[in-house]
Amino acid sequence: MSNILKREAVFAVTGLVTVLMFVEYFFFPQDWIVASTIRNWAVIIYNISLGLGGVRLIQQHVMGTQRRKENWQFSALFLVAFVVMLLTGLAGYLGTGVATSNGIYNWLFVNVYTPLGSTAYAITGFYIFSAAYRAFRARNLDAALMLVAGCFVILSNAPVGEVIWSGIPAIGEWFRFVGQVPGMRAFEVVGALGMIAYGFRALLGKERGFYAGGAEE
Amino acid sequence: MSDQNIFDKLQNIDRRVFYWVLFITLMVPFIYPIGLPVKVVQNTRDLYEGITGDNINPGDIAIMNFGYGVSAWSECAPGFTVCAKALFREGARIVFMGSQYDVELSMNKLMNDAREDFANKVYGVDYVFLGYFTGGESAIAQLATDAWTVYPSDHYVTPDAQIPLMQDFHGWQDVTVVLSSDTGDVGSYFLRQWQGSHGTRLAEIGIAMNGSTDYPYYLAGNYFGLSIGSRGGAELEVLIREPGEATTAMDSINASHLLIVLAVILANVGYLLSRRKA
Repeated sequence: MSNILKREAVFAVTGLVTVLMFVEYFFFPQDWIVASTIRNWAVIIYNISLGLGGVRLIQQHVMGTQRRKENWQFSALFLVAFVVMLLTGLAGYLGTGVATSNGIYNWLFVNVYTPLGSTAYAITGFYIFSAAYRAFRARNLDAALMLVAGCFVILSNAPVGEVIWSGIPAIGEWFRFVGQVPGMRAFEVVGALGMIAYGFRALLGKERGFYAGGAEE
Repeated sequence: MSDQNIFDKLQNIDRRVFYWVLFITLMVPFIYPIGLPVKVVQNTRDLYEGITGDNINPGDIAIMNFGYGVSAWSECAPGFTVCAKALFREGARIVFMGSQYDVELSMNKLMNDAREDFANKVYGVDYVFLGYFTGGESAIAQLATDAWTVYPSDHYVTPDAQIPLMQDFHGWQDVTVVLSSDTGDVGSYFLRQWQGSHGTRLAEIGIAMNGSTDYPYYLAGNYFGLSIGSRGGAELEVLIREPGEATTAMDSINASHLLIVLAVILANVGYLLSRRKA
């Protein structure tokens, strides 16, 4: 029974949904209630999976804290933050329908979450700076070409490039549109073809990894 | 370490030195602004022209998607703000929504940054904030066919039936233009489920890192316009003639970009000379 649920049932549902979506795309250009309903289910399932993710996260960190695993203090901090945000957010939501109407929740969001988020993003600039210095070495011709192209693109992205030399934006743009775009196009087209191939293999039951957790046939 | 020659030292400068140099370099322009002119590139101009003039009529509905969180405000928010201002000034109605759970903070920032434009508009009539959605590409596809099932109410839990603007918005047929500003994939969901499937006019206000992914779609005409990173935001501020956050940030962008190139040159001079010596 469990094998049927794990393999055949999943295979059948995947196949059915795929066929229905194909039918809608080719035969119902406006809207088809069957496909629309299934998409609604997908959104609901997606939301349930978010809840499951939250539960799993709590389990993991409770376990980590209880067993005093490495860095368990962070797990404990996570649990405290989770509970505080959940309770204050719910209090706001139950009161007015908007979580941020709760003063504590809003204060934490604006004064803790926002600066932390901005800092985490901004700090990557420092790492990129250091990494560029260490990694961009002209060890061979290929690396040298990439380095030169990279420098032109970097400078063309900032107004200062044009001040240094009016040709920099033009060269940077050439690298961007003539050098990079064709490669990216090829990458994206090949990726799309790969997705189609993967879809067909899944439909034919040859791609089992995503639902049986096992090797392909 | 002491037997290192000058060339080796050039290659192995302590990273903390770079952090301090970068920090100071980024700070200086904030204290003494330089204000180099920003040249507007074609993809940004196409975006601006696509939401102004003959391309948009009073009463048209535009979707603006916050696909970025607070961490990407510096890159996405300025361009997004200019586009909202431009659409409002053309008399368009805007449906705001977002795929990031902190979307409310981004909406609050937008309302603050464009407060003069919002002051003349009526909530529910000229604009509506639908809030956060989950469901990824399925939700975007469903939004195209039956928007009310994805958002039965707005962010403030007012049912769609009580919102005047929502009476005119049920799916892709009602929307003139979609602007998505992303750090992730939501723009490509709109591309597949709206632009590709129904021909909806779509533009992207993305982060600089996604520029290389977005260019092919812009050149192919899938995106009618494209704003890339803080630079794109600054260009949009030039076009609307209202310098803002991105214009201010351009000085720091200039300094940091120049510094990165100088650091790379420094390291390579050391590397090449040490190799020649060896």
